[in-house]
Amino acid sequence: MTPAPASIPSAPEISCRDVWKVFGKNPLSIIQSIRPEQTRAQILETTGHVVGVRGVSFDVYKGQTFVVMGLSGSGKSTLVRSVSRLADATSGQIIIGGQDVMKMDDRQLLELRRHKVSMVFQNFGLFPHRRVIDNVAYGLEVQGVEKKARYERAEKMIELVGLSGWARHYPKQLSGGMQQRVGLARALAVDPQILLFDEPFSALDPLIRREMQDELIRLQTVMHKTIVFITHDFVEALRLGDRIAIMKDGEFVQVGTPEELVLNPQTDYVSAFTKDAPRAKVLTVRAAMKPIPSGAPIPSNHHIVHPDMKLEEVMPFVAATDTPIPVLDDASAALGFIDRTSVMQALVA
Amino acid sequence: MLGSKTLSAQSSAWMRVALWAGVVALGVGIVFIAQTQPALLEKFPETWNLGLRQPINDFQSWVIGHRSSHPVFAFFFDPLSDLIDFGLRRVEDFLLITPWYLVVLAFGLVGYWLAGWRLTLLAVGGLLFCGLVGLWEESMQTLALMSVSVFISLLIGIPLGIIASRSAAFEAALRPLLDGMQTMPAFVYLIPVLLFFGVARVPSVVATVIYALPPAIRLTTLGIRQVILSAIEAARSFGSTPRQMLLKVELPLALPSIMTGVNQTIMMALGIVVIAALIGAGGLGREVTISLQRLKVGDAFEAGMAIVLLAIILDRLSDALSKYDFTGVGRRQRVLAGVLAALQLPAKGLAWLVCRIAPLAGRRANYETVYESLAQNLFLINSVLIVAALWLADALAFHSGGFPSALNIRLDIPADAVVRWMRDNLYEIGGSPFGTGPLSDFITLQMMNPLRDLLVKTLPWATVILWVAALAFTASGWRLALAAAVGFFTIGLLGMWEAGMDTLSQCIIAIFFTIIIAVPVGVLTSRNDAAQMVLRPLLDTLQTIPPFVYLVPVIMLFNIGRVPGLIAAVLYALPPGIKLVDLGIRQVPVETVEAATAFGSTGWQTLFNVQLPLALPSILVGINQMIMMVLSMVIIAGMVGGAGLGLEAVTGLARSDTGRGIEAGLAIVALAIVIDRITQAWTTEK
Repeated sequence: MTPAPASIPSAPEISCRDVWKVFGKNPLSIIQSIRPEQTRAQILETTGHVVGVRGVSFDVYKGQTFVVMGLSGSGKSTLVRSVSRLADATSGQIIIGGQDVMKMDDRQLLELRRHKVSMVFQNFGLFPHRRVIDNVAYGLEVQGVEKKARYERAEKMIELVGLSGWARHYPKQLSGGMQQRVGLARALAVDPQILLFDEPFSALDPLIRREMQDELIRLQTVMHKTIVFITHDFVEALRLGDRIAIMKDGEFVQVGTPEELVLNPQTDYVSAFTKDAPRAKVLTVRAAMKPIPSGAPIPSNHHIVHPDMKLEEVMPFVAATDTPIPVLDDASAALGFIDRTSVMQALVA
Repeated sequence: MLGSKTLSAQSSAWMRVALWAGVVALGVGIVFIAQTQPALLEKFPETWNLGLRQPINDFQSWVIGHRSSHPVFAFFFDPLSDLIDFGLRRVEDFLLITPWYLVVLAFGLVGYWLAGWRLTLLAVGGLLFCGLVGLWEESMQTLALMSVSVFISLLIGIPLGIIASRSAAFEAALRPLLDGMQTMPAFVYLIPVLLFFGVARVPSVVATVIYALPPAIRLTTLGIRQVILSAIEAARSFGSTPRQMLLKVELPLALPSIMTGVNQTIMMALGIVVIAALIGAGGLGREVTISLQRLKVGDAFEAGMAIVLLAIILDRLSDALSKYDFTGVGRRQRVLAGVLAALQLPAKGLAWLVCRIAPLAGRRANYETVYESLAQNLFLINSVLIVAALWLADALAFHSGGFPSALNIRLDIPADAVVRWMRDNLYEIGGSPFGTGPLSDFITLQMMNPLRDLLVKTLPWATVILWVAALAFTASGWRLALAAAVGFFTIGLLGMWEAGMDTLSQCIIAIFFTIIIAVPVGVLTSRNDAAQMVLRPLLDTLQTIPPFVYLVPVIMLFNIGRVPGLIAAVLYALPPGIKLVDLGIRQVPVETVEAATAFGSTGWQTLFNVQLPLALPSILVGINQMIMMVLSMVIIAGMVGGAGLGLEAVTGLARSDTGRGIEAGLAIVALAIVIDRITQAWTTEK
């Protein structure tokens, strides 16, 4: 999606610091006693406590999509739930709009959930007894918005997710993909700043999943919401994430842009995922660029490429030419060149 | 983890050894006491009696003495019973003023709305039967009593169920109370209820409410607990308050379960109709008891059949209601377009009317939205309008009320003839040693008496308690063993040891007969659809017909004594037993049976090696159910000459000796709970 404009030093929309979630009899005191080198299994063995989330910190900026990718049991669902306190974290700070969510009272929490943060669930979490329109309008209904106004808004959202004409149907009359569109419309209806996605597309078959990812990318180009997206599918993470955190045993193993992860996996665990990544879709020209030897002239070619272009985009004409292609930035300054060999090397490395 | 597991395994092994050592020690102790102090074991020591009887009877006298003067009655019980009486009378009047054919029509239409024309046919046919045998008024009275009782049960039960679903502590406190309410024979609380709610028909409403309340509470709690977690979480994530959560998500989603609760509440209420008649309820129940007192078996049969049909109609209607899809998805829409357009007119008119009236109440109404919501229930609206219009026409022109007596069929004459024939020809078949009379003697002398003597005379009471505790221990563990011992000990403390053991012996025989009949028959019906088709309505009837109806012919055939009670218990317990065995075998996965067949199993091999073992859990549940049903017939047994706790309770009632009745009732509850928990432990263990 749209990369965060790094030049704007605004405060992050979500800021998590040292968030822990420990299950067991005496979670708080356990956190103090854990040594960094202890594994989750060892902690369970010695203390009988299960560590769900282990000292996680991250920031998400406005309009960014932050993907947390991990396998089942990695603690990712617990983490996303603690953002709106559907699950209470044991310790740490979760700052949204300058306020610590962990310290909110019931009243403030209702406000947060009603206006600022919405969630889309893995099994859709639709209300089977309500029609599509009443599902979508639910958030507005509990806010006390008048019926006419909330139906108007809901109709708009239903149209936005491409379900026009289905408003009066019940969820079970819809296919899985359509049901999750309802879930998405429901989350958007309250116009939240932050959207939380808990494996929203995992229950869908592969083709529909692709379609829903495209839909989300399309919507995000107009909405610019701040998104935390949970998935166990690395390819999905690469497609959607501005930044990706790989989570294992409750910890972030590595955080970075898709390109950073693919180019530079820091552990075997991460490279296990990245080695089959569709590199052409992830890597940019920058990754295949070679410097122009000092003194040598800028190669001339009737093609020029931008450093942020994906390799996938440049491959057709790189393959067709034998001469190097110059890489020019926004100011038309030459940063380097790419040719068939350098692109091939980047793709297989 | 591993360490603690082996540790706990070791400690439980030690526990087992220690327990068995304790049991052996106690056994030795009993033998020792038997030799040194035989008097202590011969009978349960009377000096240990809790002495409940006197205070209860004193209290009863106090109530009778202060009935008219004490403020508790003047300001609580009397107004309450006046209110119930008022409501009951209005409902009854309403049903009796309404022309009979409109009642039939209304039931038929509701049946069609809920499930289609089959249900219409059943409802119409059943109600017509009630009228044709000349019991229209009685049926409507029973219906009124039922409606009011069920309404009150739900009014109390649903809120309590909601609270119980919120608070585990409240539920834990409620549970033993509900268990007690369900196992305590209604007989036992008839007298106290009569004391507090003196007016004629109110006590029967109250007794019915007490009896029918538990399922309403339990299924509400269950329904809310079962609401899918993802919906709850989604509702939370949008900032629902607890109240919004309850009203917008939990209750609507719990509705099917609550409706099942309504169904069960109705069935429980119908089950007590005859007993309620003993304390003043009119209607069909009274018809049964009066006919039996006059030994008019045929009349009792007619009234009994009317109760069965009412029960079946209400059961199917409320069952359809619990399964009704209020979302309207897949609802039948087979009406021709033109007819449909015509049918929309009343709804349109109504919508127009609402839009006119709403502003007067200071609310805005949009014609389109009102019509849209009405249009979803076209059938219902039209039904109500048609019935109302017909009623108006009838009130203006015909003034018909009750069922015309000219239309009458008499089933009592053939029924009486059949009973007479059976009495004359089956008691002793042609002077041979066969027939119901000799059979009854055989069961009494060769089975029931020896077992009773074993439990009451031969075995010391302490040994019986020890055995029961050991049984409970093997079924579950030391907690249950302790509870079982306490339960049985309580029977002794209540001064009901001998009566209790007598009852236990009768129950064991009844359960024995029920199992040896139910299991083979269940196996048969599960393998033979034709047999099931034939048996199903018969079983449904057996389950709902008041036992009083068949008791008189049974007594004629088998004499007063223990056997009629035994037969009533077996007949009553058979249907659920057979059904659960049948269900268990049918639920065995098809693939498993196919696999067995593919390996060349014969039908019998498949049955014994695959189907029966896999059906075992369901069969065990069935056995538990059968046992509970048998226990619920203890009172009936007491009324027809089977001694024991039933007789104690009945004499307590008859002699206005409430203390004795309550002691016997508590003993029945103790017996039932112990046996239930032990058999339940079996069903979950295996």
